[in-house]
Amino acid sequence: METQPYHRIIMLTGLKAAQVLKETEQCANIIKGARRPLMVVGGKIGESDGLGRPLGQYAIEIAESRGMPICASAHSRGILMEMGWMPESTLDFIDIVNHLKNKSWKGLMGEGNHDLVLFMGIRSDLLEQGLSTLKHFAPHLKTLTLDRHVLPHATYSLPNWHKGRNYQKFLDGLTEALGPQAQ
Amino acid sequence: MKNKAKEKEIKAFIRADDPWEPVGPTPMPEMSDLRGWTMRLLETYKPFYAPFCDMCCRCTFGKCDLSEGRRGACGIDMAAQQSREFLVSCCQGAAAHAAHGRHLLEYLMGKYGEDHKINLGPEVQIEAPIVRTVIGLKPETLGDLSKALSYVEKQITHLLSSTHTGQEGGNLDYESKALFAGLMDMVGMEICDISQISALDMPRSSEDTKLVDIGWQSADSEKPVILTIGHAVMPSKEILDYLSANGLYNDVEVCGICCTAIDNTRVSDAARVIGPLSQQLFYIRTGIADVIVTDEQCIRCDVPMEAAAAGSALIATSDKICYNLEDVTRKDPDEIVDMIVNDKKQVLILDPEKVGEVATKAAIKLRPIRTKGLMDEAKVKELAGDCTRCAMCERVCPNLLEVSKAIQAAADGDLELLRRLYYTCVGCGKCDQECPQEIPILKMMQAVASPETFKMMTGRGASHEIDVRRVGGALGQGTVAEGEISTVKKFQKTDLDFGGGRIAGIVAFVGCSNSPEQEDVAEMAEELARRKFLVFLTGCSAMMASMKRDKDGLNIYEKFPSEIGAGGVLNIGSCVSNPHIVGLAVKVAQVFGGFPLRANFEFIADYILHRIGAVGVAWGAYSQKATSIASGANVFGIPVILGPNGAKYRRLLLSDDQEGHFPVGDIRSGKVLDVGRPYPEHLITVVESKERALVSIAKLCLRNLDRGPMRPMRLYHYIDLHKKYIGGLPEDLHLHIRSHTEIPLAFKREVLEFLEGKSWKPREGEMPVSPTWFGSFPSHTNLADLYQGA
Repeated sequence: METQPYHRIIMLTGLKAAQVLKETEQCANIIKGARRPLMVVGGKIGESDGLGRPLGQYAIEIAESRGMPICASAHSRGILMEMGWMPESTLDFIDIVNHLKNKSWKGLMGEGNHDLVLFMGIRSDLLEQGLSTLKHFAPHLKTLTLDRHVLPHATYSLPNWHKGRNYQKFLDGLTEALGPQAQ
Repeated sequence: MKNKAKEKEIKAFIRADDPWEPVGPTPMPEMSDLRGWTMRLLETYKPFYAPFCDMCCRCTFGKCDLSEGRRGACGIDMAAQQSREFLVSCCQGAAAHAAHGRHLLEYLMGKYGEDHKINLGPEVQIEAPIVRTVIGLKPETLGDLSKALSYVEKQITHLLSSTHTGQEGGNLDYESKALFAGLMDMVGMEICDISQISALDMPRSSEDTKLVDIGWQSADSEKPVILTIGHAVMPSKEILDYLSANGLYNDVEVCGICCTAIDNTRVSDAARVIGPLSQQLFYIRTGIADVIVTDEQCIRCDVPMEAAAAGSALIATSDKICYNLEDVTRKDPDEIVDMIVNDKKQVLILDPEKVGEVATKAAIKLRPIRTKGLMDEAKVKELAGDCTRCAMCERVCPNLLEVSKAIQAAADGDLELLRRLYYTCVGCGKCDQECPQEIPILKMMQAVASPETFKMMTGRGASHEIDVRRVGGALGQGTVAEGEISTVKKFQKTDLDFGGGRIAGIVAFVGCSNSPEQEDVAEMAEELARRKFLVFLTGCSAMMASMKRDKDGLNIYEKFPSEIGAGGVLNIGSCVSNPHIVGLAVKVAQVFGGFPLRANFEFIADYILHRIGAVGVAWGAYSQKATSIASGANVFGIPVILGPNGAKYRRLLLSDDQEGHFPVGDIRSGKVLDVGRPYPEHLITVVESKERALVSIAKLCLRNLDRGPMRPMRLYHYIDLHKKYIGGLPEDLHLHIRSHTEIPLAFKREVLEFLEGKSWKPREGEMPVSPTWFGSFPSHTNLADLYQGA
């Protein structure tokens, strides 16, 4: 299981790299421990990326399980709507990152800024830059990427899943561990 | 503070006694002179940083870890470090253009004399809107332009010095300087382009600017082929002149890559365009070029190695790019040709005229012994069979392409993925380099690429006064506020509907363009032109946009009108032509506002920011010049959208309005009024996809001054594009509707329902008739004087 970034253009130059989560339970506990988690999805959630079904469906299930809002960036709102889900918010990726880095932001639900932000289906070069912004300028929150490859500027990242079925197994295990309903 | 000697020097420099306009408050400004304006921009549009790395590696105290709030050994923090890097980029970009301009002017003055008159055609009265506005000089000759350029060169030195260790320490001041560097770049680029238009007889704003061939097979490979790469037209011009003088016009092909290619077509009908900068490795590796001539900017560092491998001769022509080659400038041309043809030497020639003769003679001699040919499809499939599926090719791809998948499909006999890959590839060659099987991936893509040739408009050049009246009127600028009419003596009322239709906005696609998808720019340009936006293109964006046909076989240049008006699609020219787009906005301020330009930068920028719905789009990413060009637009109040790769420029300027209050001054009443939010919303931002870009373009055209039908028209496009590409109504729509009359009729019912859900109420209170930020920042501009004098 590889923990270096898949795409060499996002190789880390620095000391503080993402903690790579190899175990489903570890990942589920981090999500469960968050008070105000947020899911941010991008234009690639319509793709299956080696999974049996689109990434977006996993995003919806994970968000639904914890009652966390979804912010649809890029053109992902229409993709979610086709999956029968209306995201709580639609913003440019940069705009949501810009809000998140502001500690006093009221959050997507008006209840305060988020303490854990999950990301799925965003171009890795753009996402890595946004994660860098949050790593350096938003110490008040943590980030977790659920894409198939390592993103070193995240607080927590999944490893590189070279085989789609292993990635699928991880996400299936995660949704199961988080449970079907919002608590 | 400027002392009296300095003031005297400035007055002499700009010929202050010339009566064309009174001298404004900031002639020949230095970075601190415009700090009030740039800091005011930064107050609303705050820097957003996305560092590549955690470290600063700039000095021998380092490396320093700047993560988690740490400071470096010099005391710098992450924000200041990022802003310093951005300023360095802007200085690199501004210096590249200014140095290009210096060489160009030396060449032109040597040929035509420093008294050669500036001539952009009889219809262009404001020949250099940027130089006039920033410096306060009305240039008349090449010598004047040279003088103006010396001012830019001096400023770049000051700016660059501030990035040295132990100099500037505040990130906002670095940003202020970066914006000023962008301004210097605008001045330098304008000098570049108007000097070459004037002296080299390039197109002068003609609506029937010709269409030229573009494509990797646009040059007849049966003839001797000279390939020119870069941005400076001088060597290419001399090659074309030599062909003409020696009756060889039809016997030798001169083709180009990157901006040199565009400028070649502006000086000669014989020039061909291969394509944008991403075509370099592809085309060089075909071996079709008998001679490669490099000038400057955006040229690959490995051209000597690649040229040698392809069997092409190489002539470097710029002191910026010498490639360790022997300088043979002083040798006899025939002796150099002998070195090239018989000894296979690659050479440096720093005399464009000599390049013309040597390149031509060498190409003619080399053509009969050219041996390279294209790979056939059977060979492509065979080579693909060597792939071990390690996927290193896609792990190193800067455009995140699925290279491995395409190679595997080719091995299975399906070449379609490889063919499509050619059109999304940035041409860096990293996949080739990384492949452990040494599979020549680029050559394989080239072998299956379509040989299609397209039509591209060559660069049209500056706007003239008829264009300005047409565009200003259609943008709703014909209505200088009623209160101003009584005070602005030179105001002339202009027909609002001149040209037959309103323009929802001006959109300029500039710079590199072939990522993430080659067809993105063409598709966005088409969507916007159909909606009667005015679409400008320059440089590689102008090239790439030509390479998509509709079902009738037409591309955007063949389909849309080439006039500067609603729904027009125009290639303005090369990189250095970008100031003509900003210059159009400046001219609108002059023609419609009746305000003097001379050394009046802050006022003109404030005017553009609040009134002119223009947006720049730099879709692909590559060069530092993009940062300086974008900053030049920003400092004039024009927002810029970057494609997803643009996040790697590492700095954006975003508003962060959460309170719903935003004070703006009103020149007419002298009051400070709450307009709710800043317009444009951001000064420079990044979007992930072309769908999102289209929506953001429409939104960033909204301005405080939108009056009458302008706001509903702009909202119509914002809503319609959002519904088409994102789905549903924009969730921030209620923030942009100030009254019921601004609701677009086409969506009235659903928007009313939406507004009800948001508990929306019409905006109460006065709205500014003549919005301004003056009064909210320290400035040398005296509005009363300005209005009295206008």
